[in-house]
Amino acid sequence: MSLSSNAPPSSAADAAPLHPIYAELVTQLAADLSAVTSEPALRTVHARYLGKDGEIRKRLAEALRAAPGPEKRTIGQAGNTALSRGEELFAARLNALHDAARGADLARSVDVTLPGRRTRLGGLHLLTQVRRELESIFAEIGFVVASGPQVESEFYNFEALAMPDDHPARDMQDTFYLQSPPLPGSTGGRLVLRTHTSPVQIRTMLAQPPPVRIIAPGKVYRKDDDPTHSPMFNQIEGLVVDDGVSFADLKGTLLYFARRFFGPSVDIRLRPSFFPFTEPSAEVDVTCVFCQQKGCRLCKGTGYIEILGCGMVDTAVFAHVDAERQRRGLPPAYDPENVSGFAFGMGIDRMAMLRYGVNDLRLLFAGDARFTQMFR
Amino acid sequence: MKISWNWLRELVQLPAGVLPVDPVAAAREVEKRLIRRGVAVDAVVPVGVGLSGAIVAEVRGKRPHPKADKLTLVDVFDGQTVTQVVCGAPNVPAPGEPGTSPRVVWAKPGATLPSGLSLSVREVRGIPSPGMLCAEDELGLSSDHAGILILSPDDGLAIGSDFAMGAGLPDVIFELDITPNRPDLLGHVGVAREVVAAFANEGATLVLPQPEFSRRTASSSAAQAARIVIEDSLACPRYVGHVLTGLRVAPSPIKERLLLTRLGARPINNLVDATNLAMFFVGQPLHAFDLHVLRGSQIVVRRARAGESMTTLDDVQRPLSSDDLLIADAERGVAIAGVMGGRDSEVRPTTTEVLLEAAYFDPVFVRRTARRCKLHTEASHRFERGVDPNDGLLLAARYCCDVMLRLAGGQILSGAIDVYPRPIEKKTLALRYARTNQILGKQPPVSIHEQQAALTALGLTIETTAVDHAVFQIPSSRPDLTREIDLIEEVGRSVGYDDIAPRVPQLHMAGPTRAGCDAASTTLQKNAERARDLCVALGFDEVQLFSMTSPDRLRAVSQTSDGDALPVPLPLENPLREDLSVLRTLLLPGLLDALRKNLHHGQTDLRLCEVGEVFLVPSGERGIDPACIQTTRIAGVLCGNRSYFLKPSPTDALDFADVRGIVEELLDGLGYVVVPQATPVAADPAQPREVIIQQAHASTQPWLHPGLGAVIRAATTQATDGAILGYFGEVHPTLRERLDLPAAVFAFEINVPGLARPARSYREPPRFPGTSRDLSFLIAADIRADQIRAALLSAREPLLVDVRILEDYRNPSHIPTGQKGLLLSLSYRASDRTLTDEEAQKAHDRVVATLQTAFPVKLR
Repeated sequence: MSLSSNAPPSSAADAAPLHPIYAELVTQLAADLSAVTSEPALRTVHARYLGKDGEIRKRLAEALRAAPGPEKRTIGQAGNTALSRGEELFAARLNALHDAARGADLARSVDVTLPGRRTRLGGLHLLTQVRRELESIFAEIGFVVASGPQVESEFYNFEALAMPDDHPARDMQDTFYLQSPPLPGSTGGRLVLRTHTSPVQIRTMLAQPPPVRIIAPGKVYRKDDDPTHSPMFNQIEGLVVDDGVSFADLKGTLLYFARRFFGPSVDIRLRPSFFPFTEPSAEVDVTCVFCQQKGCRLCKGTGYIEILGCGMVDTAVFAHVDAERQRRGLPPAYDPENVSGFAFGMGIDRMAMLRYGVNDLRLLFAGDARFTQMFR
Repeated sequence: MKISWNWLRELVQLPAGVLPVDPVAAAREVEKRLIRRGVAVDAVVPVGVGLSGAIVAEVRGKRPHPKADKLTLVDVFDGQTVTQVVCGAPNVPAPGEPGTSPRVVWAKPGATLPSGLSLSVREVRGIPSPGMLCAEDELGLSSDHAGILILSPDDGLAIGSDFAMGAGLPDVIFELDITPNRPDLLGHVGVAREVVAAFANEGATLVLPQPEFSRRTASSSAAQAARIVIEDSLACPRYVGHVLTGLRVAPSPIKERLLLTRLGARPINNLVDATNLAMFFVGQPLHAFDLHVLRGSQIVVRRARAGESMTTLDDVQRPLSSDDLLIADAERGVAIAGVMGGRDSEVRPTTTEVLLEAAYFDPVFVRRTARRCKLHTEASHRFERGVDPNDGLLLAARYCCDVMLRLAGGQILSGAIDVYPRPIEKKTLALRYARTNQILGKQPPVSIHEQQAALTALGLTIETTAVDHAVFQIPSSRPDLTREIDLIEEVGRSVGYDDIAPRVPQLHMAGPTRAGCDAASTTLQKNAERARDLCVALGFDEVQLFSMTSPDRLRAVSQTSDGDALPVPLPLENPLREDLSVLRTLLLPGLLDALRKNLHHGQTDLRLCEVGEVFLVPSGERGIDPACIQTTRIAGVLCGNRSYFLKPSPTDALDFADVRGIVEELLDGLGYVVVPQATPVAADPAQPREVIIQQAHASTQPWLHPGLGAVIRAATTQATDGAILGYFGEVHPTLRERLDLPAAVFAFEINVPGLARPARSYREPPRFPGTSRDLSFLIAADIRADQIRAALLSAREPLLVDVRILEDYRNPSHIPTGQKGLLLSLSYRASDRTLTDEEAQKAHDRVVATLQTAFPVKLR
């Protein structure tokens, strides 16, 4: 539809002949309205002809002034008719313009299959996601999150956990030492990068009496570097101390965790093992989630995958804690005749790799955005 | 630790039918029980299983194959006839005199090999070969295929005899991973005891070999031939010496050699092999000295003297200190106690008399010396963990003497020289039956009988019993059993962890409390999690990078013009490699490195972030509280374009305003409030909430572009600068080039606050419309936006609700030099009514007047 050639609606023009003194003006108005294509221009035309000081009213005033008395009424009425005819023409033209604009708007179209302007969504690292999932699973059964420093003293990392300097158990964890002056006091010793999250056990028990039910995730460090060992990795530690806590409670807690994390059909197996700070100790396997125990490469044909180490808190650990509590003027609270507890620790990285089939631990720390985006 | 199933089977007596006849199936059954008892089995490896019909044959002649260079025709004699066999090995021995000629293993037609191969007569390049001569891999002994196995007449295998039987095959090797608390499992006897306990219900018993050497005992006594003196009885509580004479040093027979090889040791000669076999048998390391070389025919166990050194078996001269325990003769050191023997006193081909050492050295002593010498040997490994000073030590010595006499002839002098100045008594321990069930939580409880049986099966004996407890005597081979809880663990292992039903622990509603993780660290954790979520919402991909870095990488980013890298990073004493040798003091270097790698992968428009720890040494104090060293930061790097359609245009490229906007969102999201500088605030210097943003200084933030860098500081009431909480801006172009980053890179690094975000509160949304006034003026170019904002706010006009800067215009063709044109939009609103034009205008005039008194401005 061409805007400029658009004729005024015929109903108004054909209604009745206008008084001759207005006819020409209205015809001119109709022509001017047709000539403009925008609303502001249309309103300018409206003002010129139909406004307070517009042409039609000027003509009306002149005619009234010039006309003899009896004709004034006729001329006045004819003027009003001309004005309303003009308004009709304006409204019709305005509508036409709106319709044309809407039509043009509606005529727009795009190829909806073209890609859009994306604000790329960032992603949480896989380790963050898995850690949060682990935290929330344990939160369901009453655990709260605790934390401790990554640079630790030998006291917290080893001695209080029943691993004195000359103990072969220290060989189990190849330790990074820091160049620093020795620390004062009984909680001293050299500074190390913590080799496990277990020092948080000690820090927690020094800070509060039982009951304790914490989970402590964080980075740990060992002097190892190959596809299955990284000098830095992430562990999550659990500790429960209360009266009457037994090995059966440990098993129940771990079974709850394993089924929530790996699925309701998995089972766990506890094998007796050794850790200096737990007794009895065990290593925990889950039934292989990849082969349903038929035997595969990932479980090395055994049907089981090792996931964590655990045990009942060693009485020697309680003794270290109470001795240190007393040294700090706190009442002893961890008499093994009154309270017992269990602890466990697992690799968050290992859990993530098992869950998602990631086969190279080092990829977790490579800073590769593509890796993060995979788990967005 | 490698354990031979054949050897184990000699020690464990089991009623027939308990285990399958097939050795591999039987070993698998034993493996299951061992795993259940907590002995980790890494592998079960069959050796020579499936080998039959291979015989020992003597080489009687050899000549080249007429049609093939690499093949040999070998005449072998099986005791009855001589047969020609085609052999492809390069090492066919030359024949000698019948009876002393080298011998080989001949798999005759009808024989089968462990691989499953059945042999027949086969034509090889036109010449029929009945069976083949075998290499070690074909016999299932090892993976060695360098040549055929050659036996000597001394190997004790008769011509024509079955090779497998003579060589002690088939066998199955258990590869065990022994935890440091169980030195007893570093020998076959200890593992056998564990197997006996595992099959106690099936009637298993332990059978130890009886000493045989009494038949070959000389009339003269050992005490006359040698003397032993212990000077340091703390480090060496017991030293037993046997003297053997008339020995003939030679290679051990093939059976012993193969057994040692299977157990991971290198055969040396019959005397040394005997000590190793005894060690693998009992777990007690032994050492044989050539008695002729021992000056004064004596052994003195003493501390090394200052400046003393010794050359060990591995030909290394080792300086010693007075902390090291030395085995010496009358003049000099002959062995580092419990670690390694000396070169000069070792058994050599001419040795005929030895003094056999069986000693108990203090574990801590051996461990310290081994660490100082950086030597980890089979011996030190066992002494460090604690050998059995009583029955085990004596058993090992006796066993070794027997093997020596069997393999090297000779005789043993009567009586052992047994110096035991500090007898190590067997311990006793009480076990309360109820305590066991309290700890294990098994339902139904473990009965008294079960508890006793579990412990006696392991060689513990009951000393006394009462209604509720019993006292047990602990064998001295079990130094790990020192407390009641250790006995409970043994009972638990015996019952089987599988049989303890799981139970979810009851939750005491009084606890647990959060006292252990004080409020501050909990808040920090929460804020760190929020920082991660904020960054992801802002389009960043989270990464986790190593806390260790290289000093160079830190220096590249933080080195100032005067050469200092600040702050000084904490170095590792024993780094894995140079590029992981210090703890990071900034997150940025790692992120920039990651950014470079990602760009090299061909990615563009990257945003990487990390929430992690940096490690800053608090200055001043000598002692460092480890808890004060780490600070949690959020950092990010970004480069490339904002979001764009199809193809980025130049205006889509990121600029300073992008990073500033991201930082504003982060600060806001973390509960920081950005205030104009010089705005008085009641700041808590430890936990600042109000912060200011100011131009960074190149002298302290050298990694930032000098004009496009900002520092975030705690706002203070004083004129002094508040603590720095973070930085952001464009990365310095020089640094960028040095790091091989192609285009403009922006970065930020901010402390994650330990302060809880202020509680959100409800405010009614405005009900009445406001009005706004534009304000356009010229002002000196060096007056910062936040100074102008502060000046406007200083009017304290209650109706002024917002100040927005719409334009900062500096086009020199329109604006005089040294000036800038600003266009501001000021919003006015009252909460209880619609403002009239006059009210708004009055307020606006007051605000503008305040601005004019603060700065010379030219309104436009």
